[in-house]
Amino acid sequence: MSALEIKHLFGLRGVSKHDIRLILDNAKQFREILERPVKKVPSLRGMTVVNLFFENSTRTRTSFELAEKRLSADTVNFTSSNSSVKKGETLVDTLRNIEAMKIDIVVVRHKGTGVPQFLADNSNAIIVNAGDGAHEHPTQALLDMLTVEEKLGTLEGKNVTIVGDIRHSRVARSNLWGMTTMGAHVTLCGPSTLVPRNTELMNKVTWESDVKKAVKNADAIIALRLQKERMDDALLPSMREYRNTFGITRELLECAKDKVLIMHPGPINRGVELDSEIADGENSVILNQVTNGVAVRMAVLYLLAGGRANA
Amino acid sequence: MPNMVLNNVRPFVNGKFGKPTKMCLVDGAWTDSAPEGTPEFDAKGALAIPALFGLGLDFKEPLRDDIYTFKDGVCAMRRGGFFGGLYESSANPIDDSQKLTAMQQLSAKSSLEFAFLGAFSMGFLCKDLSEMVELAQGGAVGFGDGNRDCSRTRFLRLAMEYGSMTGKRFFFMPLDDSLRHHGLVHEGCYADTLGMKSIPRIAETIAAFRILEMSRFLNVPVHFKQVSCGETLKLVEMARAQGVDVTCDVDIYHLLIDDSSLFDLNSNFNVSMPFRSAEDREALWKGLESGTVNAISMNHDPVLGQDKEVNFEDAVPGAVSLETALPAIWKPLSERLGAARAVELLSTAPAQLAGVAPAALEVGKRADVVILDPDSPMSVGASLFAGQVSNSPLLGKTLPSKILGTYLGGVWTEV
Repeated sequence: MSALEIKHLFGLRGVSKHDIRLILDNAKQFREILERPVKKVPSLRGMTVVNLFFENSTRTRTSFELAEKRLSADTVNFTSSNSSVKKGETLVDTLRNIEAMKIDIVVVRHKGTGVPQFLADNSNAIIVNAGDGAHEHPTQALLDMLTVEEKLGTLEGKNVTIVGDIRHSRVARSNLWGMTTMGAHVTLCGPSTLVPRNTELMNKVTWESDVKKAVKNADAIIALRLQKERMDDALLPSMREYRNTFGITRELLECAKDKVLIMHPGPINRGVELDSEIADGENSVILNQVTNGVAVRMAVLYLLAGGRANA
Repeated sequence: MPNMVLNNVRPFVNGKFGKPTKMCLVDGAWTDSAPEGTPEFDAKGALAIPALFGLGLDFKEPLRDDIYTFKDGVCAMRRGGFFGGLYESSANPIDDSQKLTAMQQLSAKSSLEFAFLGAFSMGFLCKDLSEMVELAQGGAVGFGDGNRDCSRTRFLRLAMEYGSMTGKRFFFMPLDDSLRHHGLVHEGCYADTLGMKSIPRIAETIAAFRILEMSRFLNVPVHFKQVSCGETLKLVEMARAQGVDVTCDVDIYHLLIDDSSLFDLNSNFNVSMPFRSAEDREALWKGLESGTVNAISMNHDPVLGQDKEVNFEDAVPGAVSLETALPAIWKPLSERLGAARAVELLSTAPAQLAGVAPAALEVGKRADVVILDPDSPMSVGASLFAGQVSNSPLLGKTLPSKILGTYLGGVWTEV
């Protein structure tokens, strides 16, 4: 097995093409295993994985848990709602206590940017980022990339358009880094209050305020979930105007390629960022994304654990 | 008072460093000779710099003496070569004369020179005026905002209008809270890449412009604390050209650090006024060169270890600076602006802003002096810092210069 250059997965910024390729190729193999009657492999037998979720999550945590179980790891779930964090314990103390129980891998989700890196600095465990603030959500981007490759064969030269709340989206950031590393051309589109004014990637991506132009040449469109809190914060006037201006609708898709892939990290606000007929339509690969999520997470855990075992 | 003889030291006299000589420090003053048996220290050609004056000191006592005490702060000043400082605690607003007296009594034990900013509103809340006349009569050298935005413009007007009776200067950290909006870091490419809530430059310039207009309208002198971006300095220059009495300082760390440091995600870089872009940092340096910036401030703000041993966004903002300021800034500052301007920015001008007589080295006069080896690197470990804190962006770094010792208020401290 070829080894990853990274020791932890904090994000996709700075992750090499070699590592992303390796993860995606392994994920494809795990994807096949997931289609078998017996979906379990012994790769992580004897290893303990803690899912340390300080933010609510259903699908990402479930996806990681399934991936861990498919790899035969022992898993422990730790959520902030039932944890000592509520009793005032610091993040470092929480980690040290968990680590004292001899765990091998920590999968962490937290509202704060950089928490996975912080945990890695303070522990010996392998850290996998399951979402940190608005920073990165690398496994979501990897499963998005896997889905595009699965359907289109390659990311190289493909046009991927991300529509929605880019500013607050860790999914968008991870996709920006990952997709461009793999040779895709990324276009960002969203309301001016929800698009970053500056970015290190300014020269690598295209910014487009007109959604019709943004989707015109797209091979894949990723619609981002719109948080209702954005209205409370006066970033948008209404869901209605957002849907009419940036929503992925049948009418909008008339401006796009016939076979454009429709993607969404979920959960969907139907009738807001994505109309139901599109979410359930023939262009939608949203459920493929969910399946690929398990495969990608299996690949990430397997390769990171393998790297540690080989060290 | 303990006496000390410094051998082979180069004192800063009449705007320049002299040749290596002997300095006899007796009863707190520089004298021609010292009594027999006085301890001696070989400075090996190091510089004897007039001691520094720290703008922006907050030692937390009494309300947060669990974090830091006045004694800790004085210890940090002695290690860092500060003969005095301008004190304003956000945790302990000095909003009545009893509190002012209590702080004056606390500081009197130190033999260092403290000046105090009174709060212009009770509890820094901008709802009720403090008794500014009594505070001024009691010795408050000016009135401050506690580094909190006074968003109620009418209250700001009334506070400055009432306070104008005292003739004192008003000190503001210009930062519009509404535009800040939970932001922690500079709005720029680094914040956007990291997805962190950020503070645009206009949060500072809009607040600054409002204060300058008020100052012009009411003819009340104002001071900007911790100016962080070049645009604010342009506003200061424009206001001065219109006759507004405005002074300003820049924070020492803003001269050394910019927002590229964010990628380290080190919680010690979480400070109240965010580190801005490299262009802003250069603009601040140019402000020092041109004279737009009057002084370099310290903004010594201790934070407990457990409040920094968290991820960046959950960390309590603040940085300590007194112990490391001179070793960190001396070399770049003196090389770019010359030794005389460096001494002015770190010692003379800050003291004058606080209405305190600056330190000066002259035979026969009181001598507050810091001995610095400009070419000897110094590692910054946690043990360097006074008290139980070590919340410094420079922790773990190597500084270009090293303090060998300080003689402050007649007390020799070997560092």
